[in-house]
Amino acid sequence: MTVARPHVCAIHGLDLPADRLDRLSAALRLPAWQAEAAPKTGPKTGHDGRCPVLALLGGPEAADAAEIWARPFAAWIEVAALTDVELTKAVERARHADLFACVTTGTANHLHLAGRIIGGIAERHPMPDAQRDDMELALHEAISNAVVHGNLQVEGMKGLSVAALERFSHDLAERMADPSFANRRVEVSVWMEDDAVVVEVADEGTGFARPEHIEYGASGRGLDLIAAIAEELQLLDGGRRIRMRFPL
Amino acid sequence: MDYGIDIKEQEAVVRLRGRLTFNDHAKLRALIREMLQNKAKRQILDLSALEFVDSAGIGMLLIAREEMANADKLLVLRAATGQVKRVLTVAQLNKIVTIED
Repeated sequence: MTVARPHVCAIHGLDLPADRLDRLSAALRLPAWQAEAAPKTGPKTGHDGRCPVLALLGGPEAADAAEIWARPFAAWIEVAALTDVELTKAVERARHADLFACVTTGTANHLHLAGRIIGGIAERHPMPDAQRDDMELALHEAISNAVVHGNLQVEGMKGLSVAALERFSHDLAERMADPSFANRRVEVSVWMEDDAVVVEVADEGTGFARPEHIEYGASGRGLDLIAAIAEELQLLDGGRRIRMRFPL
Repeated sequence: MDYGIDIKEQEAVVRLRGRLTFNDHAKLRALIREMLQNKAKRQILDLSALEFVDSAGIGMLLIAREEMANADKLLVLRAATGQVKRVLTVAQLNKIVTIED
């Protein structure tokens, strides 16, 4: 990760008040993106020879459009309740990654974030279906852990009974409906290297320590699946952040 | 995930379609209830149209297997392809559930 990263060089607002976008544009020193004027080449170029654009999403609906997840877009921040200061810090982190997404828990789940991010990786580094499927599963498991166990603090299904499934179902629905849990953030950062891709997923939960002995019920297989697919797997920040490295 | 059930005398064939993830908890509960209610001893889950399964989906399939066993029924996973087949292999589900091509 010592390679100089392409900087985000424009922002695009969706469902965001124009005056706030103007203010942010000035504060971040990032011009508003203009689709027609996007240069094919230039001093600040991304891997595709175009300038990476940061999408500022006003709310969850803004994230639904497929085109917003394709190039030149390379970073996505759901503004929701973020203050300008929080937003500026998130943009700073976005500037240091090749792909970056910071969205609420509800949005991460709703828009199937893993598939979107893998689409972005595959756009920059095409790969066979099997490899893409594996990487999508690992990222999906990491994001699911961040959503379910991290931010929503819902315990896994213990035992193999419908009762365990019902308890899980109930807790998940309850927490997802509670803004103090559902508005917590999931952040995904991607760094493309020559022969690998490094992906981090961070949540705002209470952390997690991998138990030495796992009591397998209907839950508990996610990390094992990630470990089976990724070349490297690290738990950081007390388990609030997972770093995975996949060979390309 | 969506599903359709075709109940015959000896077996019920449930065709799963789409993506099976932790978000499908309510559907799985309904499906398990339907599989317990019909008379067939063999409950076949046809996975040929299932595109994606995650670890929670695997967990829910194991709950279905357990509930069928408790009711003296057999759960069979059939015709998985692509990502689904691969996950069943990686999770070594063949040790726990009957899997057919």
